Amino acid sequence: MNELIPLMVIIPIACGLLLNLLHKKDRSIRILAIFVAIVLPIIPLLSNFGLHYFGGHAPLIDNSTLLGTLPSFISNSALAIFHPAITYSYQSLQKLFIFILGIVAFFAIFTSFNETKKVSGPYMFLMFMGTAAVTALLLSDDIFHMYIFFEIAALCQVGIILVSSTKGNYETALKYMILGSIGGPLLLLGIGFLLGAVGSVNITDIVYAIKHNLVNPFSQTFLIGFGLIFFGWLYASGLPPFHTIKSSIYSKALPHSAALLQSFTVITFIALGIVIFRIFSYLPFMKMVILIFSLITMILGVTMAIIQTDFRRIIGFLAVGELGYIGIGIGIGTTLSLTAGIFQAVNEILTTALLFIGFGTVFYLTKTSDMKKLGGLIAQNPKVAIMVLLGGFAMAGVPPFNGFQSKLMIVQSSLNAGFPEIAIIAVLISIITFMTFMKVFHSVYLKPKPQDLQVVNESIPTSTIFSIVILLIICLIIGLFPQLVTDNIYPFVARLI
Amino acid sequence: MMDILFDTQLASFFTSAAFIIIGLFAAIFLDNIIKKIIGIAFIEEGANLFLVTLGYKPGGIVPIFLPGMNSEWFAANSAYALPHALVLTSVVIGASTLAVMLAIAMVLYKKHGTLSTSKILGDEK
Repeated sequence: MNELIPLMVIIPIACGLLLNLLHKKDRSIRILAIFVAIVLPIIPLLSNFGLHYFGGHAPLIDNSTLLGTLPSFISNSALAIFHPAITYSYQSLQKLFIFILGIVAFFAIFTSFNETKKVSGPYMFLMFMGTAAVTALLLSDDIFHMYIFFEIAALCQVGIILVSSTKGNYETALKYMILGSIGGPLLLLGIGFLLGAVGSVNITDIVYAIKHNLVNPFSQTFLIGFGLIFFGWLYASGLPPFHTIKSSIYSKALPHSAALLQSFTVITFIALGIVIFRIFSYLPFMKMVILIFSLITMILGVTMAIIQTDFRRIIGFLAVGELGYIGIGIGIGTTLSLTAGIFQAVNEILTTALLFIGFGTVFYLTKTSDMKKLGGLIAQNPKVAIMVLLGGFAMAGVPPFNGFQSKLMIVQSSLNAGFPEIAIIAVLISIITFMTFMKVFHSVYLKPKPQDLQVVNESIPTSTIFSIVILLIICLIIGLFPQLVTDNIYPFVARLI
Repeated sequence: MMDILFDTQLASFFTSAAFIIIGLFAAIFLDNIIKKIIGIAFIEEGANLFLVTLGYKPGGIVPIFLPGMNSEWFAANSAYALPHALVLTSVVIGASTLAVMLAIAMVLYKKHGTLSTSKILGDEK
């Protein structure tokens, strides 16, 4: 059912708009939001793989009747193969990520019902709109369309921070918008250079033009385009020099929305990273540039995390550092490494969401995330504390959780590709991640409770505990049966290579 | 030299480059939020102008295929419509971004009593 492909974007957008119409009708909003949140991960499971052409405008070569009526200078040229309409491409990779995004969106929305007093308002709309934008980003085979949805996702992220009403949220939103307003147009400019060179913004067409020597891929136009798109990718993904603002964004959002925001970042990272890989993989230095930035990200992520005292910022920096592992997978560029990198992206989305929601319980109970003011919270709810601890193990790559499998694959692919130094750095960063996490866990749960620490809410909402349990179970299942995920990644990577 | 000066497309490319450079300077080095936002608007419009210029064809015609036109002649003489269509969307996105930034600037001005970015972001620390 290829008709379901656009519905993956249309349904969350329509839901978001409908929620605005239902303003102040909290019960209706809850029912609608939960229903759509349940539907979101189900649609990708029902949809068939394939392409969807908006307006039904398939390439001319697929429409022999029309092709026969056109002059020969069109029918015999590459124009007959090029895509005239916006195209959505739904493959195994899209299926995997849209499913995972749907799950995280469901838990973020489900958790928010009990943790936020006001259901009505722009908050829920922004979560659905952001989910729709990131889904479109994944599906689109059109680089300009990707830019548009990337900007919409960025605006939604800013909106979520603004309505989170945390201290300093407006200042962080301003900083993010200023940086974004530089990064976004430069990305657009890069797309403009590709458009100028090829005459199309469809990624498949651009790759076709390069492979069939219709354009000179080593021309200055292409090189400038690569530089600008790469810069836009750095901004979109929170890679250096944008790593600080990305972790600030996570720390200023409410924990459950931070769980969703980080999934937006990881998916944007993967979507744009794959586009860069598809278009520019002929450049001899492309992989090396990605590798260098990924290594810097890993090192900066953990070193910045160590010096923080706010646990939300620490998780934010650790999440940014984990992106480096994905980048290494893309940068090495072999079948195994790409599979490992994409697998790591799936695991990062799940484990970071688990940690944000898990540590979010601490914020919910005490209304503070400053580790100097916290302590002894294991007595409050030991079961949740243990689940958060296991979530930290999953992120650090401790067996039998999912993070172990993907990180092991990354180490193996580095060794196979002749980069033992990268394998060593990856293992070291993983150990430091584990140590940093244990420091946070000790400060929040194990050290003696400070005298002045006030517990504002006595119990953790059941919906939050449910979300943590399910996310942890998913992490464990993927850790025990990694082929459930990698079997979806291999076919995509095989075609990509 | 005079040819370059009177080449509309080249002049337009230079203008867009100037827009982007001036905008980058304002967004990065100026302290006042409003000036930064104006700089950002410059960058966005520079990128849009670049796209519009890509579709320009010297002596070209509007890309509307009318009855009786020879298709080969039309293909050879019409401007390229795709960049113009893209810019429309891009303008909308740019306007939304600017609106949100201005709204944030208003709130921050009320909160801090200043439009100085260094003071506002300094207060955050």
